[in-house]
Amino acid sequence: MSLIEVKNVIKEYETAHALRGVSMDVDKGQWVNIMGASGSGKSTLLNIIGGLDNASSGDVLINSTNIESLTEDELALFRREKVGFIFQQSHLIPYLTALENVMLAQYFHSLADENEAAEALKRVGLGQRLKHRPSQLSGGEQQRICIARALINSPEILLADEPTGNLDRENTKIILELLKSLHNEDHFTIVLVTHDPFVSGWGERTLMMEDGHITGDEVIKERDQGN
Amino acid sequence: MKRNWFLYFFKKSVSQRKGRIIIASLSVMLAVAIVTGLFGITSGIKDKLGSELKAYGANVIVTSGKGEYLDYDLLERILNLDGVEHALGQVLGQAFIKKESVEVIGLEMGSMRESGWRLDGSWPQNEREIIAGNNLKEALQIKQGENISLQNEGRNLELTVSGFIERGGPEDNAFIVSIPQAWELMGIEGKLSVFLLRNKSGDLDKISSRIQNMLPEASVKTLRQVAVAEASLLGKMQMLMILVTVVVFFAAVVSIMSTMGANVLERREEIGLMKAIGATRNNIRIFYIAEALIIGLTGGAAGFLLGYLFTQAVSWGAFDSFIKVPLYLSLLSVAVGVIISLIASHFPVGDALKYNPAVILREE
Ligand SMILES: Nc1ncnc2c1ncn2[C@@H]1O[C@H](COP(=O)(O)OP(=O)(O)OP(=O)(O)O)[C@@H](O)[C@H]1O
Ligand SMILES: [Mg+2]
Repeated sequence: MSLIEVKNVIKEYETAHALRGVSMDVDKGQWVNIMGASGSGKSTLLNIIGGLDNASSGDVLINSTNIESLTEDELALFRREKVGFIFQQSHLIPYLTALENVMLAQYFHSLADENEAAEALKRVGLGQRLKHRPSQLSGGEQQRICIARALINSPEILLADEPTGNLDRENTKIILELLKSLHNEDHFTIVLVTHDPFVSGWGERTLMMEDGHITGDEVIKERDQGN
Repeated sequence: MKRNWFLYFFKKSVSQRKGRIIIASLSVMLAVAIVTGLFGITSGIKDKLGSELKAYGANVIVTSGKGEYLDYDLLERILNLDGVEHALGQVLGQAFIKKESVEVIGLEMGSMRESGWRLDGSWPQNEREIIAGNNLKEALQIKQGENISLQNEGRNLELTVSGFIERGGPEDNAFIVSIPQAWELMGIEGKLSVFLLRNKSGDLDKISSRIQNMLPEASVKTLRQVAVAEASLLGKMQMLMILVTVVVFFAAVVSIMSTMGANVLERREEIGLMKAIGATRNNIRIFYIAEALIIGLTGGAAGFLLGYLFTQAVSWGAFDSFIKVPLYLSLLSVAVGVIISLIASHFPVGDALKYNPAVILREE
């Protein structure tokens, strides 16, 4: 049985049809990329899988629980327990240090634990940057805080929406290598949205989206991840 | 050591916006100060209602017409009336001291001792000693034990001030002399200006109409009549007060609402992010409630202090005395501050919590 089951999800806005009936499954531990042109509905799908937004119709089952039937507060609890988000913009809280940004996620989850948060930042290579504010760090470093924050409560699913969209090649590679090694160690499930073919070289499977539909589903072999 | 992480993150977030919080707190302060000041003043005036009678434990006052007097013998006759428990006479007049005009109140010294007023010094021991109102101490630069002379139409009385009295009434600005001393000074014998009577409260109206029949020229008023006359003025003041309170309250709420509104608008991203990492609406709301509490508590407390000073300044100007501001008013002021702040925060924060995180977090 799949960890994530999306069944005929439609998302309509007053001005746009973002998703026109999307169905897909993701197995536990899989790394899936979603690719597609701008406006094809990638972010909308990701947000609905993460319980950050609701579908207009259709079902989203996570561990067989239909999250479309959850109340707003139940969705908050679902997100805190099961999901870690990374966005294109880091959305770090500017007046908190790297360490405190990670601890805030612990605080809303259960208990803030300074040592554990520091450990998580060491894992993403920021052991020397614990007391820095986001504005004192580079874009790549900020995204690494976001990875630490997203994974601090050991979620089953990591949802990443263009996590390298603001980064250069070099930093993109650092981030993706980091995700890969964390994924190999902890075996969480990754759904990563990108429109950059370079990025989709990482991961095990790529879904293609076009105009609110899934139009392709391709399993990736080990590929040259260079350049 | 276990830290309170809520307080930890709350302090961080509040210290970001000290300016905003101070502004909001100042609007609470002004509102509370105005409301407290008005309440303090009216409550002070209420205390003074009929205080001329209450001070002597009297409930009926008989006054002669202007420039006329009541016969001392009448006091005896009134005392013999059914239901009259106690009767006091006073002579009211004017005298000059060092060419300055002062009020003189002649009364039975014994009645003053019983009334429990604050005396600084000692009660008169002989017929040359008198008491002065506390405000005269400064106004005339006199000291305890000092010899003074009071003049009235060529008559001259050499006297010694044995003590000062403070009551928060007209006595504070007058010399208090015995009735014989007053007669000597005024050149009248066996005459009184005012009778202060204590009657059985049940037959107050009956007794006062009987006295009125005995003394058709005099004015006879019960404590309630005196208080009602003063209260009608107070009533008008209270109307004004309620109006001002409503306006001020409204202005403060609007001002804090816009401050809070700007505050949450500025922090949309933060709110969206908190939701994404699993905060419930209540997890987020508590940060803003705590902020509103701080604004309300500090603004309320500062507003009470300001209002208190305002009240005393007005009271000193108007009555030459301070008002006893009841303790509950301080609690009430702080509560009003908190209520203003919570009401004003309720709507903007409620709106902020409705933000869809998916929409906010896609914004650049
Ligand atoms: N809140 C909204 N209100 C109205 N229309 C919206 C809203 N959010 C998204 N849309 C529309 O839905 C469609 C899909 O948007 P979505 O953000 O999912 O695309 P995307 O594939 O992530 O694009 P990009 O690569 O540019 O991020 C677009 O046409 C977009 O304009
Ligand atoms: Mg997108």
